[in-house]
Amino acid sequence: MPSSHHSNSTLKSDWIIKFFLVIGLLVTGLFIVLPLIHAIQLSFYHLESFVSEPQWIGLKNYAKALHDPVFWRDLLNGVIYAGFSIFFQVVLGIGIAVVLSKSFKGKQVVRGISILPYLLPTAIVSLTFLWMMDGSLGIITLGFAKIGIYNVPWFETPFTAMATVIFISVWLWTPFVTTCFLAGLQSVPQELYDAAKVDGLSAWGTFWKVTIPVLRPILTVIVLLRGIWMFNKFDVIWLMTMGGPLGATEHLPVLAYKKTFSMFDVGGGAAVATLSLMILTAVIFIYFKLFPFEEK
Amino acid sequence: MRRAILQKKALIRRIGLYLLCALICIYSFFPIYWMIISGTKAPDHLFHHPTLIPGPFTLEYYSTLFQLTSYPTWFKNSILAALGTVVITMVCSIMIAYAVSRYRIKGKTWIISTMLFAYMFPPILMAIPLFSIFAKIGLADSLFSLVVAHTTIALPLGVWLLWGFFNAMPFQLEEAAMVDGHTRLGAFLRVVLPLSLPGLVTVGIFAFLLSWTDYTYALIMITSDTMKTLPVGLAGMVGAYEMRWGEIMAGATAIALPLLALFTFLSRYFIEGLAAGAVKG
Repeated sequence: MPSSHHSNSTLKSDWIIKFFLVIGLLVTGLFIVLPLIHAIQLSFYHLESFVSEPQWIGLKNYAKALHDPVFWRDLLNGVIYAGFSIFFQVVLGIGIAVVLSKSFKGKQVVRGISILPYLLPTAIVSLTFLWMMDGSLGIITLGFAKIGIYNVPWFETPFTAMATVIFISVWLWTPFVTTCFLAGLQSVPQELYDAAKVDGLSAWGTFWKVTIPVLRPILTVIVLLRGIWMFNKFDVIWLMTMGGPLGATEHLPVLAYKKTFSMFDVGGGAAVATLSLMILTAVIFIYFKLFPFEEK
Repeated sequence: MRRAILQKKALIRRIGLYLLCALICIYSFFPIYWMIISGTKAPDHLFHHPTLIPGPFTLEYYSTLFQLTSYPTWFKNSILAALGTVVITMVCSIMIAYAVSRYRIKGKTWIISTMLFAYMFPPILMAIPLFSIFAKIGLADSLFSLVVAHTTIALPLGVWLLWGFFNAMPFQLEEAAMVDGHTRLGAFLRVVLPLSLPGLVTVGIFAFLLSWTDYTYALIMITSDTMKTLPVGLAGMVGAYEMRWGEIMAGATAIALPLLALFTFLSRYFIEGLAAGAVKG
């Protein structure tokens, strides 16, 4: 059609779109590409602080990190933290979504309340749990004492410290999973449920044979996204345990932070951060190979 | 007989459902409840055998917080940083998303994939070089540096959301307006933008949330007490004084309340954005 041909040429020659595009490229370059390049650049230097004279040392920061058992311990800690947090977020998220997808009075209120944890700043949630888990006055500690479990060392043993940071992360970010699954559940055609009923499937059978297959594409994306974010998450662990006790909850973001800002090794910190991005990229690549996205 | 049994079963299911809902509410709301309660409970009760019910009420934590700490300054900094982030994120993501959705060149996939890639950057990886850059140009420890840092996380999300919005809008819309004598810019401002208002609100809310709730970037970019934002300032109170949990919980409540109010009025946009960002990201 001539008119669409005409419109195509006006689209191409329009200065305002070109202007927008140039601004877009500039902003993306300045805000995202430049810092990334600078981070990689820093990782090739030895420098003790951001104002000291940088000294080119090539790949030595990487060699040092990869030969350091702390790096591997922190990588493993990060995998454990991310893995268990996502697992419980997904299980709880699906469970809550299934309950909230039923129709009952006050549904909107319950939905609203169930999202609240996700709205709160991480720092505020961490502080609140620090207070609730205070060794002598915390309401959770007192509650456990009521049922005969005294002096739980929430932050003092490697196992309880890891379990605590995982629990708080699950509390904070399950609503994200719940919301996504609720949206997904609404897209399940009623006929499928009716067919399952005709086939005599139990509620449990319907869940596994109907609901889960429909939710699979969302599940694939959520596990990936949440996995990446949990692997990168710095604030919960830093605020609750600072990586302690004795490095039991220290993961790569905390290691990079400590190196850069308290161990006078900016280059080393940048190297650890770059390495963790490389690991993530590799994992995502493999993940896409294993679970290719189904086009809608 | 059978019918009675069926009815009984349905009743039990119903009760079970409500019990589960109650459980979900308690699980999700109790820490928030305890935060609010702790910030208003008189000290002799808060620190000796606290009860679950609120009271006896006191506002002394709030007055200490606002009169004897830098809390008001942090509050002002948080608001400024959040507003700055919202404005820059919205302007930039509108321009980028519109150009990418309407311009047919190869470079646009480059922008979009960079944005998606930025989604998975470790915040630490961005914060270290950003701090270094701002230190070099003498702008470290400023709200501006913090706004830029927050924009690096909000922008990918904004572009992604708005790109979907603009793509769903047929080209004919602008063309019709341009036939009517509007320029492209006029058509964009008068036709496209008003129609994408829900998307704009969602992006604005998310940019605000990201900035208002951020701890990691503020911890790194800001070093002086007068430049701190609320989360970092409040977290700094732990350990700095003797444990002032009443004040800290009062401060936490004052940070959370604007968010809860925002959510009550704008929950539709919030949930839409959450779902869209997740399903597409």
